[in-house]
Amino acid sequence: MYFRLNPECYFIQGAKRGAIFDLIEGEAYTLSSYETDLIALCEKNNPVDNDEKIFRELKRCRLGNFYSKAPFLPKLRVGSPYKDVPLNNPPEFYRAFIEINNSCNRDCWFCGYFGTKRSSGCIGCNKWKDGGELLPLERWMTLIDELRDLECRDLFITGGDLTLVWDKTLRLLDYADTKFKNIYLIMHKQSMSKRILKDVSSKAKLIIQTENLDDPPIGDIILWTVGSKGPERKSGSTLNENVVIDFTIEDASHLAKDLPIMSKIIDAHMYPFLNNMKYHPCLGHTLTICYNGNVTPCPMIRNHILGNVRDTFLYTIFEEGMDEVNKYWNLTLDKLEKCTDCEFRYACNDCRALEENLTGRLDGKKLCRYDPKEGK
Amino acid sequence: MLEFKTKTGNTYAWDDELGLFIPFPPIMRAVAKEMLSSTVPTKAEVIERLIKNFGEDDVSFYYDWLKKWKKIQPHNHDLNNYHKVSPSEAKFFLLRHGIQQLILNVTEDCNFRCKYCAFSDYYEYRRSYSKKYMSFSTAKTAIDMYFSLLEESRRYNPLRKEPAVGFYGGEPLLNFDLIKKCVDYIEREYHRFKVRYNVTTNGSLLDKDKAGWLMQHNFSIGVSIDGPEEVHDRNRIYANGNGTFKDVIKNIRPIIDVGYKNIKSLAVYDWKSDIFKIDEFFKRNDIPAIGIAAAVSSSGGGKYYSQFSEKDKEDFLRRIDAARDYYYRSIKNQGKRERSFFELLFGLGIQVTLFGPVAVSPYPLIAPCTSTCIPGRKLFVDVDGNFHACEKIPETMPFGNLTEGFNYERISNMLNDYFGYMDRCHCCGVKRACNSCFATFAEDKGFVASSEICKEIEAMKAEQFAEAFEFAEMNPEFVEFKNDLIR
Repeated sequence: MYFRLNPECYFIQGAKRGAIFDLIEGEAYTLSSYETDLIALCEKNNPVDNDEKIFRELKRCRLGNFYSKAPFLPKLRVGSPYKDVPLNNPPEFYRAFIEINNSCNRDCWFCGYFGTKRSSGCIGCNKWKDGGELLPLERWMTLIDELRDLECRDLFITGGDLTLVWDKTLRLLDYADTKFKNIYLIMHKQSMSKRILKDVSSKAKLIIQTENLDDPPIGDIILWTVGSKGPERKSGSTLNENVVIDFTIEDASHLAKDLPIMSKIIDAHMYPFLNNMKYHPCLGHTLTICYNGNVTPCPMIRNHILGNVRDTFLYTIFEEGMDEVNKYWNLTLDKLEKCTDCEFRYACNDCRALEENLTGRLDGKKLCRYDPKEGK
Repeated sequence: MLEFKTKTGNTYAWDDELGLFIPFPPIMRAVAKEMLSSTVPTKAEVIERLIKNFGEDDVSFYYDWLKKWKKIQPHNHDLNNYHKVSPSEAKFFLLRHGIQQLILNVTEDCNFRCKYCAFSDYYEYRRSYSKKYMSFSTAKTAIDMYFSLLEESRRYNPLRKEPAVGFYGGEPLLNFDLIKKCVDYIEREYHRFKVRYNVTTNGSLLDKDKAGWLMQHNFSIGVSIDGPEEVHDRNRIYANGNGTFKDVIKNIRPIIDVGYKNIKSLAVYDWKSDIFKIDEFFKRNDIPAIGIAAAVSSSGGGKYYSQFSEKDKEDFLRRIDAARDYYYRSIKNQGKRERSFFELLFGLGIQVTLFGPVAVSPYPLIAPCTSTCIPGRKLFVDVDGNFHACEKIPETMPFGNLTEGFNYERISNMLNDYFGYMDRCHCCGVKRACNSCFATFAEDKGFVASSEICKEIEAMKAEQFAEAFEFAEMNPEFVEFKNDLIR
């Protein structure tokens, strides 16, 4: 008798333990060392003892089944391995952040300006002291055309405080309209007004930065709420589907001890999971165009500059430096020393900006207390 | 679901909606059938209906699994509401993904009269031989237009750094001076690009000087060689009827002797071919490694196979079965795969069957069915400067020319026209595993409906799937290296 996991169930082996990921339901199942060894054998079509409890349990969970003859079960996949050969294919550039200004009259304690370490600072508004002049409006407009031609799908427009350049923001919003699948506008709660809501309503999804955890949800608007203490609040956890909790890190060692492991498992659904086998879960497919024209892998990674588009086309970043871009895009968790032996590596969240900030290394890892070698 | 069964008794199905294979034992078929009934039954009802023939635990398992399987959300085109491709969509697609290769048909003339040639009398919808030669002026304009398109497309696809330029015929070496002029021109004017050159030749004119020049420019040389002398000379002959093998081999020997690797044999076979002799022949070190193994085509109004008897066909199929068994055994014994005629005939087919089809697509596809190229993905320029989707479709269907460039309206019309003729695809269980393309359905003045051509496609595909799965069941290590399933 043989036992095989269903095509939609991926078995990932860690140093000590393994896990099964159901890519349709998005569920993860952890295995003991003994169970891991058994599943590794059966996934290689070795005959099994059908009295083993684990197999019956997996069948009960609809994750696999018994076969009387050794079957061949190709796994569920997205696209075709043949078509993955990158012969003259365009870059898979799907998400862009554009910082269309860098001024703000506020001095929020959690702003990037002060170097605050935040779990999801990229989605909030920030101002920076990178130097350099703002790109002019005309250049932002041509950049929007360039992003469309590169088939970028999600556009995040951010600042600074966008209300200080509201006419410019609206012109760019109008110009970008219909060119992207999703447009997000990132604002501070204190900048909100009925006029702004009306101006933006049909053109973009609003992401509102706030620090008041008691702010009630407003329609479809996403509230990006910063809390001052991480461990009590789970990273990325949602109180409501439109309320996201961001947290700051004052003491990384304290946080690392208390960070709940499973809260880091973000998505075991097929598209993100299979994507994470080839791309970094966050940096993959993403670039940021800073206010001064610098192009960086992420809004929070300011010191890795891939180029500047003030006087050159955006596509030259890929044309001349795809290897450099891939250094970030292809930084799968397989390549991080601590994660490479972890069975959760394709379903786990990871913020390189924050980890680099905490460890001083682009491939460092501090924000995880799970030890894959111990399986604990 | 298209079901198939391997010799071991395992049953599987191809889920065409998702582009995925799934194990499909009889109990699953029974459960799926119940779940498809007009009033969707509850699990309890399905169990009650099937309990006589199957265990309750298994019925329950497959009911839940099928429900789960149906949750996969593909982003396919709805063929019933086919969204017509607009000229601007076609243009955007081609600037992103197209213009992969420029192929210059430098002459329609040939010094061979191969019996199966696409330009022979067997092929109703293809052009005939002629004495037409492409001029340098035409070639230069085509080259300029191609590189101008590449320049325009940089902002859409900045990674297209290695464009390809191919020289085709007739016998392209009959117009060798033009090839040299073209390459010199490209190297002078477009040195920013790392161009990959290729030529498809019958080998008879590949003398020392020409070979030296092609090697110097790192040409990928495809030489048509069908096998050993008696196999090759059965079909590949001069206009006077004499065999061509000796002349071809004499020319390619020096290329092999200097260790040039960028040369491949392109072999064609038919129902009379002795495929075992061919396989042995291409294992020789003094013959270019096999690059392509193709059966004589029956598309394009091809009547080539009308000359053969039913017995010829049956004998050939017997040889194919024996060759497949031999190949499988040798795989087991050798423990590794080597590039051989049989590897291309059987091994490659298995890989394409298992991994070729596009699986669940995260984004809508421009082509909802079949594997057709979008005209302009390749740019085939005929001797008069007209643009064609490829060398295999009738010349009556150009999508542009050197005066007007790419005619995106015509391209979108061709696509929409083509998919309009794909009337069989609505109910086809293998439309996403289909290898057909424009060339399959193209006639003199347009396309023929897929319902006319694809009558047995599902049965044929089920057979291919079964064959591929049988191989994979026996040799998982030869298949899974591509899939890298267990990490």
